[in-house]
Amino acid sequence: MNVRPLVVTLPAVLVVALVLTWLSVMGQTPAAFRAQRTPTGQPNFQGIWQTMSSAHYDLEPHAASLGVPAGVGVVVDPPDGKIPYKPEALTKRSENSKNRAAADPFNKCYKPGTPHMIYLPFPLQIIQTPMQVTILSEYMHNTRNLFLTRKSHYPPDSVDLWNGDSVARFDGDVLVTDVANFNGQAWLDRAGNFASDQLHVTERFQLIDNDTIRYEATLEDPKTYTRPWTIRLLLYRHKEPNVRIMEYECHAYSEDSLKEPALPTVR
Amino acid sequence: MKNRFLALGGASAFFIAAIVLTPMISAGQGEPPQGQGPPAGRGGGRGGAGGRGAVPAGPFTKLSDGHPDMNGAWSIRGGLANISTNIVEPADKQIPYTPAYKQLREESPKRMYEEPELHCYQSGVPSHMWRQGYNGAGLLIQQTPEYVVFMTEFMGSYRIVPLNNRPHIPESIKLFMGDGVGHWEGDTLVIETTNNNGITWLDNDGDRHSDALKVVERFTLTDANNGTWEATFTDPKAYTQPWKVSAPMTRNANPNAELLEFACVEGNQDKATYTEAVGGKAKEAPIAAPSEFLAPQRGGGGRGGRGGNAPAGPPPAGPPPQ
Repeated sequence: MNVRPLVVTLPAVLVVALVLTWLSVMGQTPAAFRAQRTPTGQPNFQGIWQTMSSAHYDLEPHAASLGVPAGVGVVVDPPDGKIPYKPEALTKRSENSKNRAAADPFNKCYKPGTPHMIYLPFPLQIIQTPMQVTILSEYMHNTRNLFLTRKSHYPPDSVDLWNGDSVARFDGDVLVTDVANFNGQAWLDRAGNFASDQLHVTERFQLIDNDTIRYEATLEDPKTYTRPWTIRLLLYRHKEPNVRIMEYECHAYSEDSLKEPALPTVR
Repeated sequence: MKNRFLALGGASAFFIAAIVLTPMISAGQGEPPQGQGPPAGRGGGRGGAGGRGAVPAGPFTKLSDGHPDMNGAWSIRGGLANISTNIVEPADKQIPYTPAYKQLREESPKRMYEEPELHCYQSGVPSHMWRQGYNGAGLLIQQTPEYVVFMTEFMGSYRIVPLNNRPHIPESIKLFMGDGVGHWEGDTLVIETTNNNGITWLDNDGDRHSDALKVVERFTLTDANNGTWEATFTDPKAYTQPWKVSAPMTRNANPNAELLEFACVEGNQDKATYTEAVGGKAKEAPIAAPSEFLAPQRGGGGRGGRGGNAPAGPPPAGPPPQ
């Protein structure tokens, strides 16, 4: 038996295999981050999170103004970064903006709505059980219960909520929500961007590393917009030692709000 | 449903409940979204979740971290009307008030304007746990290895308790729900809450504490659906000695009930109806509720105000507005 062909071909095969492996590694996109799991097997979003975007002030591109940091905007679809308002809705947005000192629900400590609660300049904590994912915001103890146990909403026109009714599921590593039953009162930001009670929101939460959630929300509202549109922003994990959600009980800090009682003179 | 809010006690509870229940009643007219609806006789309400289902009777189970599983909806009958009924120490079942706080407590009928609920404030620790009468959703306990979270529909309040027994936040920071830190002592969950703000009440009868209040609670399950809750109150400004209450905790009758949004600040017109006789600013209480306030407030958000709620009197009789 002639061994020479084997001696030649074996190294050649190994070299080819190594080259192919190298090409394969270099050519592919990075593998998606695989989220850690909760004890019950859900991708683990638990923690205290906050955006660094200026979406709270204006979802669209905006220059800085007094008390408002500039932002390049968080609308990723349509590509021009503008909310696709119907003409009459665009007029209303302009009126909202002009009258915002008096008209902005945020100035009255009202609930922020969905998706606004997610990108408030306040931290939020996510807790997960097999029944629901719970989002607890520091702002006015707002909460969202994302129900994992049902798929449908209340009948249209039966229940109207500031923050909407949220049902949720896990699509692999992505937490997907579907939110409806809105009352149409909340604003999407401080600039007067808004939706009607016909708003329907779908959200996608995905960890891109252990300390960052990529958050996307697509908003549909045939009364207000010409087409669905999407925002995208990042939520960063708070890593300060012993960080906790505090309280921002907005209505308790005004001039005439109830304070601790003055103690009576003892008889 | 009326009995439920009457059981809540405070005069203002009625209208809050009425507005909150309005959408629920409407919801009950349609099919629940999915799964089993709430039990008959609950007067409509949100569709059940078809979720967890009842927890089988028997010994309590443990989570993967080895601690008793308290996840789910509970009732703790802690003395909403008057906490004294649950006192186990001292033996005379009286809160050992200091003179100034005893006086403050006795003036409660004249100080109903100071009732936190009127101002849409969270109810504080522990009384937030007892204000749970809505649609059977009760006190929702969510438990992970790192945290226990308490949520009630009333005021949409929540309390997040880390279980690493971390140090409390600086004393200068006062919170409606205090700073609770917890740990497990065997199968008993122990929570110590400080940094209370001294504005919240212990019950609807006007029992008080100061901002020096420390509450130590102990939650001990006896089986899967029952347990005991105890709390010891220490407050050198308000009390002459520590005192202790105890109450049974039981799993909720409807394990699939969901918490619904509770809007209060959004449309609260109540404060203006409180007269000077109870510490408010109104010269006289409105006689009757303007009908427009009692109409369902679709799209209006929150409660539409409660109009003729005479604060010093009993809650209005009759069914909630339809």
